[in-house]
Amino acid sequence: MTATRNLRDDLFVAGPPPRLLGSRCRETGELFYPVQVMNPVTHRAGTMETCELEGTGRLLNFTRIHRGMPGYDSPLVLGIVELDAGPTLTAQIADWAGTDLHIGQRLDLVIGTIRTDPDGTRVLGPKFRPIKDENL
Amino acid sequence: MSAVHVIGAGMTQFKPHPTVEVHELARQAAWAAIESSGVRPEDIELAYAGHAYQGQCFGQKVLLKIGMTGMPVVNCENACASGASAVWGVVNAIKAGQADIGIAIGAEKLASAKGGFTPLVADDLESSMGRVMPSVFSMMARKHMDRYGTTLDQLARIAVKNRRGGVRNPYSPWRDEITVEDVLAAPMIAEPLTRLSCCPVSDGAAAVILASDRVARRYTARPVEVRAAILASGIRNGVGMADDHSEMTIRAARRAYEVAGIGPEDVDLCELHDPFTIAELVHYEDLGFCAPGEGGRGVDEGWFDIGGRVAVSPSGGLLARGHPLGATGVAQIAEMFWQLRGEAGERQVPGARVGLAHTVGGGVTQIEAGATSVHILVG
Repeated sequence: MTATRNLRDDLFVAGPPPRLLGSRCRETGELFYPVQVMNPVTHRAGTMETCELEGTGRLLNFTRIHRGMPGYDSPLVLGIVELDAGPTLTAQIADWAGTDLHIGQRLDLVIGTIRTDPDGTRVLGPKFRPIKDENL
Repeated sequence: MSAVHVIGAGMTQFKPHPTVEVHELARQAAWAAIESSGVRPEDIELAYAGHAYQGQCFGQKVLLKIGMTGMPVVNCENACASGASAVWGVVNAIKAGQADIGIAIGAEKLASAKGGFTPLVADDLESSMGRVMPSVFSMMARKHMDRYGTTLDQLARIAVKNRRGGVRNPYSPWRDEITVEDVLAAPMIAEPLTRLSCCPVSDGAAAVILASDRVARRYTARPVEVRAAILASGIRNGVGMADDHSEMTIRAARRAYEVAGIGPEDVDLCELHDPFTIAELVHYEDLGFCAPGEGGRGVDEGWFDIGGRVAVSPSGGLLARGHPLGATGVAQIAEMFWQLRGEAGERQVPGARVGLAHTVGGGVTQIEAGATSVHILVG
């Protein structure tokens, strides 16, 4: 059996459905990803609480990497995702083969292999896949 | 506050140096700079050493080889802007009256980096997702192409232009020019950037000697004045550098022009941060050499060639001189020194009087990037 571990323990909950872990400011209501200790907009401490963020969003930009780091998929599609909840993040795009990936593409969160370490351990983390029916 | 001048410069060739260790590379550059300036080692009162991956107290180890000990030495890491940050540090220390003469050294040895990339920063979230620098700039390219209709041919012409400069620069390892077809047909790194659209990973070092107004002319009749030295960092923007402009570059350039009392139309010569072809094009616009969206047209019409509006990367730039991270920003100032004194040989920009050097460094999750610098020099 292949060993797995999480990239970090503070990025996601597996679900189902999987959700990202972020922070909500009790004062302003703004949501952040990843988890923040202080509010980086108001510079106030003690106002942040960890929360779950819904894993739907849209693709702002992407590229297909052909010469990447050892242990990562090749080719690897990497994109910038704007969550419906507000924050943006850089993430791997899964299940892109056979899809007409485009800016504005609707996406949802999956937990998958980010990379495979030299000892064979699969490192798991948040990825996004195209939503086939974009009306959903 | 005292004006600050460059009075000497030295560098090694930028290429793989498998048998020379990095402290020795940096010593060679530092000694060449000291000899070219005519200062005695004991006249140098402080040092900044820029590097990204060369370990603790790098500058002290380099200076010890020359026998320069006891002075304040600051080691300075700002990723690809480390060397430029070292120059900024020395300029400001001299302005503040801490010294009359200082040395800025930049060096890097990356030949051991696996896969031809700079080492993965394990604690950076985006890097751990598989983000490599070419992918960031590929997204910059997509954004600029979508918004302004910039073409792959225009981007490729930047690689061709810079290689033409590199071939004429004895510090560059390249001796062969390339064509647009070569660039487009090279192996794909991250779509749409091919290998010839990306700078190589190389080893090298550069150094400059900086002096106060009070003493500069004791050493040379033709000092090159540093009219502005601006350092800035990126703001939280959610997309990093994957945009059609660099906000922090625009901000730093505006400030530099204001401090120098010089506008982009006065600049004869520019060494900008061109690790990828698209970065050079975006920075034409950021630095005010043309309007946003006009970079592609400017490439077609030769605005950035020697003899055009402003000669950009006549040294070959990062693309065709090479990019040993910490060395780059210092090498740009060395190039300014030679160009503005008319000593740049085959790559000389005729009559160049005003030069601008610009770097960008460091992918940091959530902000545009770690650092940017703009230096304006007048010969």
